[in-house]
Amino acid sequence: MNFTKNDFPILRWSIVAICASILFSSSVVYFANTYTVATQQDLRKASQMRNNSSNSLNTAHQDRDNMSIYADEYGSLINRKIVGEDMRLDWIEGMENLRQKNLVTNFRYNISPQKRYVPNPPVDSGNLVINYSEMKLQFDLLHEEQLLDFFTALPKNIPGWYQLEGCTLNRSASTGPNELPGTHLKAVCTGGWITLKSRSS
Amino acid sequence: MKHSLLLFLSANHLHAQRMADGLIAEQHEFPDSDQGRHEFKTFLQSTKCPTYLLTDLIEEDFRHELVPHLVGGNRAALIKRKFEQYYRGTPFHLATHLQRQKTGRRDDDILFSALTNPSLISPWLDIILAKKIPLVGIYSVPQISAPLVKKHPSKHLLLVTWEKYSGLRQTYFSDHHLQISRLTPVHEDLTFDDAVEHELARTFQYLKNLSLLPAGQTLDVLILCHNHDRSKLEVKLPETADMRYDFTDIVELGKALKLKYNFVDSDASQIFLHHLATRPPKNNYANSTHTHYLDLSRLKNFLNLASGIILIFTALWGADSLINSRGNATVAAELEAQAKQALDEVQRVTSAFPNTYAPATDMKAGVTVMRKLITYSPTPHDVLSPISMTLERYPQMQLDELSWQMNATEPVAKNTSKDVPALVATFKGRMVDFGNNYRAMLDYLTYFEQDLMKQGYEVKVLAKPFDASPSGSITDQKAASLNELSFAIRVSRRPSILNVSDNNRPPT
Repeated sequence: MNFTKNDFPILRWSIVAICASILFSSSVVYFANTYTVATQQDLRKASQMRNNSSNSLNTAHQDRDNMSIYADEYGSLINRKIVGEDMRLDWIEGMENLRQKNLVTNFRYNISPQKRYVPNPPVDSGNLVINYSEMKLQFDLLHEEQLLDFFTALPKNIPGWYQLEGCTLNRSASTGPNELPGTHLKAVCTGGWITLKSRSS
Repeated sequence: MKHSLLLFLSANHLHAQRMADGLIAEQHEFPDSDQGRHEFKTFLQSTKCPTYLLTDLIEEDFRHELVPHLVGGNRAALIKRKFEQYYRGTPFHLATHLQRQKTGRRDDDILFSALTNPSLISPWLDIILAKKIPLVGIYSVPQISAPLVKKHPSKHLLLVTWEKYSGLRQTYFSDHHLQISRLTPVHEDLTFDDAVEHELARTFQYLKNLSLLPAGQTLDVLILCHNHDRSKLEVKLPETADMRYDFTDIVELGKALKLKYNFVDSDASQIFLHHLATRPPKNNYANSTHTHYLDLSRLKNFLNLASGIILIFTALWGADSLINSRGNATVAAELEAQAKQALDEVQRVTSAFPNTYAPATDMKAGVTVMRKLITYSPTPHDVLSPISMTLERYPQMQLDELSWQMNATEPVAKNTSKDVPALVATFKGRMVDFGNNYRAMLDYLTYFEQDLMKQGYEVKVLAKPFDASPSGSITDQKAASLNELSFAIRVSRRPSILNVSDNNRPPT
């Protein structure tokens, strides 16, 4: 089928009609699609917003429950200066106070730089970082009870939490040149001061 | 068939009738003259509907030929060559495939036909084309006669019809395939029945001369006529060994075809026009130039239909999309309202919180961590008390060194918690005041070991004061140690599951 220019008037309005319908349809499809995409986005946003708000509500309820359960205990952790920065001056002053009490014949301590503490077995600390300042203690003792008395008095006199990892007690028959007379036991204890700090702070 | 224009062309006359929903809306007669063609031109002014041109002319030639069975371009070339050979002077030619031979080369049986006097058609056709009328095709009466005899049982049948403006048409069918057709003008001084009687004899002889009718074969003659003429014909046409007669009442046929036309004589023009309009043959004498405006009309209709379908589809799709989108918008609004309600509730709950220094999750984490770490670090009192109490029951064991530490890698004993590191203690000492009684010394150590195990310790003797096993070597101890023999024991213990659970339970 061959077309000539003379055929155009016959088809003119049909061509105009199909062009107009295609144009109109394209516009309708475009705007409908735009509207559909926009409403779908709104729906997704609203759904997300609802989920977030629902989560927030659950969190608020959990927070309310947690506060009622943990607030007092957490307050005591703060009072004991377990939560927050290292309180090295407090520790040193506390150790000197203990020295004044003469609970043991003699003791020496050494506090190392702070580092992250990784409990074993692991503990989920959430948003908190567990810091650890190792403190090694060396004792001259007359008897084992002195060690017990020292570690009983330590938490009462020094704010914070000393995590005792272990001790070694040696009975020494001979008295060395640096030892006080009457000393029969030597003890070396390892452990460290635990502090908790929020990651966001 | 809603609207169409049917044209019936004879040698000197053109009949035109407009059809609307199967009824004749308008009809005109145009003589073959300048005046007639001018009137036809005027008549076509208001016509744009599909047009069928049916010719009934003497100058129509039929040629039977067996040609090799070809397909595609070869077949088209062969047919074109045949047209140039037989019908060089006319554009109105047609090749109709009748059948394929069943034997031999299985050639094709082709009926070549043509309207051999184009000057009878062209003046009218030129007007139609000039008016850009969508011409469906150019047909001839013999060509569309086949449906009338399709169900007739005879294999050698002569169909006799009468068309008012052209004359008596006799069309011969062999095995229901058109073979030849003759048109005889009927003069005014000759009646229909006389013409039939006269022409039948001539046609019979003509068929025999052409050997189209086998020798001794009776020719069945089917005459399409009005009942008025039938009685006269039955008198004039007695059956013979050569010819048998059968009559079809044109009125009854018209009713069978649901043709809304009042037949008053034997004129079969309306029968053929009706056939043409309702079931036009696929092949006809028009070429693509003649049907150009039909193609344009079909294209125009297709474009209009496509436009309509696109608009309808778009409307449906748009409506569906709009409904879905509105549904989404409604759901989104509900979700936003729920979100706002939840946020209000959050605000209400959080506003009741005390002005604390930490989030509740941090509080929980801090408390949980510290509860856990406390279990990781027993006090020296907890460690030493059980061991000291046990040792007091064994005064002949002198302790020189005691160490303990927490160890998470220690094997987990039954009913103990793996979540808390084990307490591992090692103590070294001396066995005193046993003299040379080595047996009593070893028994004493064994009792001590069992005593520790009863208290839940895993006990491992690292060094015995005296190795009495076959693999050990024994040295005289008396001179070396003054009745004191050393030992080393390693004990480990984890808290029981119940104790750990109690430790982790929140305070009440």
